[in-house]
Amino acid sequence: MTTADAFETPDLMLALPEIWLLAMACLVLVVDLFSKDRDHTPAFWLTQFALVSTAVITINLQWGVDATTFSGTYVADDFGTILKVAALGLGFLGFAYSRDYMRDRGLLTGEFYMLSLFAMLGMLVTISAHNLLTLYLGVELMSLCFYALVAMDRDSPRASEAAMKYFVLGALASGMLLYGMSMLYGTTGSLDLATIREAAATLEDNRILFLFGLVFMVVGVAFKFGAVPFHMWVPDVYHGAPTPVTLMIATASKVAAVGLFLRLIGEGLEPLIADWQQMIVILAVLSLLVGNTVALVQTNIKRMLAYSTFNHMGFILMGLLAGAPGGYGAAVFYAVTYAMTVAAAFGVVLLLSQKNFEADQLTDFKGLNERSPLYAFIMLLLMISLTGIPGTVGFYAKWLVLKATVEAGFVWLAVLAVAGAVVGAFYYLRIVRLMYFDKPEGAGPQPSGSGGFRAVLTLNGLAVLALGIFPGALVAICMAAFAP
Amino acid sequence: MKTIYLLIVLFPLVGALIAGLLGSRIGREGAHWVTSLSVGISFALSLLVLIGLMAGWVQPFNGTVYTWMVSEGIRFEVGFLVDNLSAMMMTVVTFVSLMVHVYTIGYMSHDEENWPAGSLAGVNAYQRFFSYIALFTFAMLMLVMSNNFLQLFFAWEAVGLVSYLLIGFWFNRPTAVFANLKAFLVNRAGDFGLLLGIGAVLFYFGSLDYVEVFAAAEADPDRTMSIFGGAEWKVVTVAGILLFIGAMGKSAQAPLHVWLPDSMEGPTPISALIHAATMVTAGIFLVARMSPLYELSEVALSFILVIGAFTAFFMGLIGLVQNDIKRVVAYSTLSQLGYMVVALGVSAYAAGVFHLMTHAFFKALLFLGAGSVIIAMHHKQDMREMGGLKQYMPVTYWTMLLGTLALIGFPGFSGFFSKDAIIEAVHASDRAGAGFAYLMVLLGVFVTALYSFRLFFMVFHGEGRMDHHTREHLQESPRVVTVPLILLAVPSVLIGLFTIGPMVFGGFFDGAIFVHRANDVLAYLGQDYTGPFGFIAHGFVTPPLYLAAAGVATAWFLYIKRPDLPPVIQSRLRPLHAVLENKYGFDDLYIKGVAGGSRALGGFFSRVTDARLIDGLLVNGTARSIGWAAGVMRRLQTGYLYHYAFVMIIGLVVMLTWFVFGAR
Amino acid sequence: MTLFIFYCFAAVLIFAATMVITARNPVHAAMYLVLAFFNSAALWIMAGAEFLGIVLVLVYVGAVMVLFLFVVMMLDINLEKLREGFVRHLYIGLPIAVVMVVQMLLVVGSGIMDPATLPSGDLPIPEDAGNTALLGSVLYTVYVYPFELAAVILLVAIIAAIMLTLRRREGTKHQDPGRQVKVRKEDRLRTVDLPRNQQSGSR
Repeated sequence: MTTADAFETPDLMLALPEIWLLAMACLVLVVDLFSKDRDHTPAFWLTQFALVSTAVITINLQWGVDATTFSGTYVADDFGTILKVAALGLGFLGFAYSRDYMRDRGLLTGEFYMLSLFAMLGMLVTISAHNLLTLYLGVELMSLCFYALVAMDRDSPRASEAAMKYFVLGALASGMLLYGMSMLYGTTGSLDLATIREAAATLEDNRILFLFGLVFMVVGVAFKFGAVPFHMWVPDVYHGAPTPVTLMIATASKVAAVGLFLRLIGEGLEPLIADWQQMIVILAVLSLLVGNTVALVQTNIKRMLAYSTFNHMGFILMGLLAGAPGGYGAAVFYAVTYAMTVAAAFGVVLLLSQKNFEADQLTDFKGLNERSPLYAFIMLLLMISLTGIPGTVGFYAKWLVLKATVEAGFVWLAVLAVAGAVVGAFYYLRIVRLMYFDKPEGAGPQPSGSGGFRAVLTLNGLAVLALGIFPGALVAICMAAFAP
Repeated sequence: MKTIYLLIVLFPLVGALIAGLLGSRIGREGAHWVTSLSVGISFALSLLVLIGLMAGWVQPFNGTVYTWMVSEGIRFEVGFLVDNLSAMMMTVVTFVSLMVHVYTIGYMSHDEENWPAGSLAGVNAYQRFFSYIALFTFAMLMLVMSNNFLQLFFAWEAVGLVSYLLIGFWFNRPTAVFANLKAFLVNRAGDFGLLLGIGAVLFYFGSLDYVEVFAAAEADPDRTMSIFGGAEWKVVTVAGILLFIGAMGKSAQAPLHVWLPDSMEGPTPISALIHAATMVTAGIFLVARMSPLYELSEVALSFILVIGAFTAFFMGLIGLVQNDIKRVVAYSTLSQLGYMVVALGVSAYAAGVFHLMTHAFFKALLFLGAGSVIIAMHHKQDMREMGGLKQYMPVTYWTMLLGTLALIGFPGFSGFFSKDAIIEAVHASDRAGAGFAYLMVLLGVFVTALYSFRLFFMVFHGEGRMDHHTREHLQESPRVVTVPLILLAVPSVLIGLFTIGPMVFGGFFDGAIFVHRANDVLAYLGQDYTGPFGFIAHGFVTPPLYLAAAGVATAWFLYIKRPDLPPVIQSRLRPLHAVLENKYGFDDLYIKGVAGGSRALGGFFSRVTDARLIDGLLVNGTARSIGWAAGVMRRLQTGYLYHYAFVMIIGLVVMLTWFVFGAR
Repeated sequence: MTLFIFYCFAAVLIFAATMVITARNPVHAAMYLVLAFFNSAALWIMAGAEFLGIVLVLVYVGAVMVLFLFVVMMLDINLEKLREGFVRHLYIGLPIAVVMVVQMLLVVGSGIMDPATLPSGDLPIPEDAGNTALLGSVLYTVYVYPFELAAVILLVAIIAAIMLTLRRREGTKHQDPGRQVKVRKEDRLRTVDLPRNQQSGSR
């Protein structure tokens, strides 16, 4: 237990990114209320400014720092900085891609920006949490925003159904997470992750209680990852939600999930590595198996990306389960680059979507090369990156993870993952085939979107290639964040 | 200085990108200006660096420009090693490249005639061509400036790629497509050796950096490895021979030489730039660069010596029976490359590189001269339809004469110095195989003179054998063609005179090329060296000069005095002629034997193993079972909320049971 | 004595919770839930956490459950249909539930949850300050960051609720108080001059 005596004046500057983002979100709330602009242009630009400025503040104030404040409930460190900046950047991409789509469907409301910003805030809080309470509140803040965002399109029964499932299952998972945390609190008498870590290192006969809580928490975290068998919500939600929301859930929230894992399990329960490593192995194996097999038979690209997510989550978990700096660095690198690649893939889907038309069927990609060679090429880059073919960033991500896995002594797991990636090549390269070798049925959707959208998407796609050729800097940053 | 080195490399790349990507916007003029200018700047800077190095106000540079990644302590980098050797190569490459750029403006000016009317492929072909040659210059510079094996390999492949693209530049011609495929495949065989060599170096010396590798090899020169069974091989021998196999592919040494004659299907400027002056000498450069490694292995050097000697004589012999003007020059290139390799084989690296340089000038000159003739002949290349061109094309005639004299080693010309230095070095060497090599190179001198003047007399002297229409249009080529000829003729004649002292017998390559004292034949020869004129005087008492003179006289007798004789000789020596016509059967062996055999084997595998076993059983079987699994999984995804929740609960309970209560 | 009261409340709690699941009438189920809340509140107060107990009654019983009852009554849900699956799936559900119960018993019964071994907290509760005051003092000092976060979550809940419910759709009836207030008599009342002669005619 903690008393008020333990209180010291918080270092607000250290927590400035979160404070700033919250202030900006409230500003967006007010500005949008009084703005007459039908397209919510001020909200859009303010939001983008908020994300960029927060990222800048984060880098300036938190990179190279390792400090806690708010009586140890908040921590700022290197890998937190990486994850935060990545989440903010992915949010930036999401907003840049989603304007036309949301406007065409009458969904471009101020609330979209606000809730997304609050979701971002939730991610930042999660990543920076150093206390079970903060961790849980951050996750809930993020999830709550997403539940509402999924349900945004009230006229779509599919969206409502997706939101309902997401909400109920999410609540169930949160309950498990909380239950597990309560076990830890009951055993150690503390919510502070550092204290819990110390307690975990000197376990005696109350070990079973710890493990009991650990399983519940792993389940809660696995749900956020969408790892099999806690994955059932993912395809329905990806499919049902408006594509921009899917984009955010598929990208930024995964980065936050990595943060959640690293804080709660990687940091707080590090002494129990022998136990949770086994659990994560099972989750990773199931994810790899299920993700690849089911993605094969999908005809909807959003669903296909959802199922293939499991495969990639399997890879991220492989990096995490190594439980070593190299593995964590690899997992962070994987999560960041994977999210970036998938963001661009959803961006292409959004680009092809038009009013009253969702370009989310695989057949919509037929003959894309004839209609738009540039975006067909970008999609090609993304697909080969997701497959993990050398030359794109996906290869390095996979390679780093496999290296860490082998070093951790799980050679068979690495072999399985590679076999899975080979199966994965089939459904990724199928899109390439459709784009380049098939004739479209009818005219096929044309890319449509504003200049800014196209420019950002093009840069995003090329970044996948550029990082594939020059991965050194990003790898070095990710590895440095975990260097002992 | 690092910036300057970067600029030298990047200018051609930028030029290539502009000409290639914006070709349709900037037009023909823009394309040849931007590429020529960028290569020109590169040349100027390279020359500056070379002069600086020689004058001493530039220090040799060895440094990293960009670290691509670091893995297990092995650095994968882009870096430059600029010393006298690479600076000389840079200058030669950029100079010849610049000449070729200018020449191409004239040579390709009517390129649209080479494409089928209205074909899409011909659109912007002119700009594409300039883009390719600028890109080649970039890749070649990266190759010679590299300070590590990885960059070397990339650049090695890059020049191979551009060579492939340019041999098949007129890709509507089946022969060109065949030739570029052949070049690519044969080079693949060599590159495989190179890659294995690099792998061996990395494995045993633990680094990709030249300097580190040399130091590691020097530290433990007698390290051995066993390849098959118990036979122990020195690591340096194995690595050296493997690396040299790569060099054999690129530098067209027998038996991997078959692609070079066919590569003449490409436009002539390319033959001059890539297949005579620069790319094919990459192998020579490689071995010279690796001299600290090769010096540790007598066996590898003997291997090199024998290969080179074989190539030098027997390839020249084929040149005697060729009728295509470019092919004659191509076989001459093979033979000359053989000379360079021989020099490497007797540890006379400096002499090999020296010959590389002089050869680059006079062979580029010969090719461009041949190109000039081809322009005048409306792209006919058969020498039997030429003759008497002297009166129509004086500039081409005189420059070609200078080039030919340089090639056969006329005293005082650049080729004389370099070739005599090699022959003397072989004579002085006591390496295993040196006796055989000496015989080969001596006979080679006779053969060289014979085929060179055969070409010369058949094209420029005697009676014109072309048809009436062609004869009416015969005229000297335009300025853009003749000016490069003249500019190349100058170094072809003079450069040997001025540079033999420092390059072969002086200390020009000190620090860049390393020779063990016991092997240093050039130092031995250098004891008697009194200056270039003394060297010329010495030439009069050694056999090569007389052999060359005999060759010229024979050519004169056969093709000027008694032009009726050659057919008679040909019919008398029919079996020998047939062997030469068939190029000793290498082509048949490769095409029918290796390629045909592979295809037959591939066909067998495709029909039996692939279709039945792999496709039928493994692939389709796997696909079927995965499809089945996917179906099952998909059925689990019912859409019912309580099913989903239930799956989660089951997962939780199973994990609880397993981890909390199981096992422990 | 305390122990006896504890077991009484606990027994009622478990009974009420079981009835929430099994009751056929949704209103009954909701009422059982209220009962369950009351009992847990009592247990908490017994454990010395009187603030939590009070909040549970105030918030859950007073606000949440009342709202819940409203909704249940308004919507007229046919629970019969919803419950069909209950028995049908019992054959897998029950074993799982049993397994979980057994596991929990194992954990709890293994003796490690003995209050003597658990860290009871190094905090002696002062005589003069109650649980509420202590909670308050900690909430605004040490836990100010989580507290603020909770406030943000509430804000998000408001925004989300408004976004999901406040909307204009064709065919739905809604009132606009602003427009109702702003109405002038001219908008509703139309005075018409009728020709006098017609009146006289009719008379």
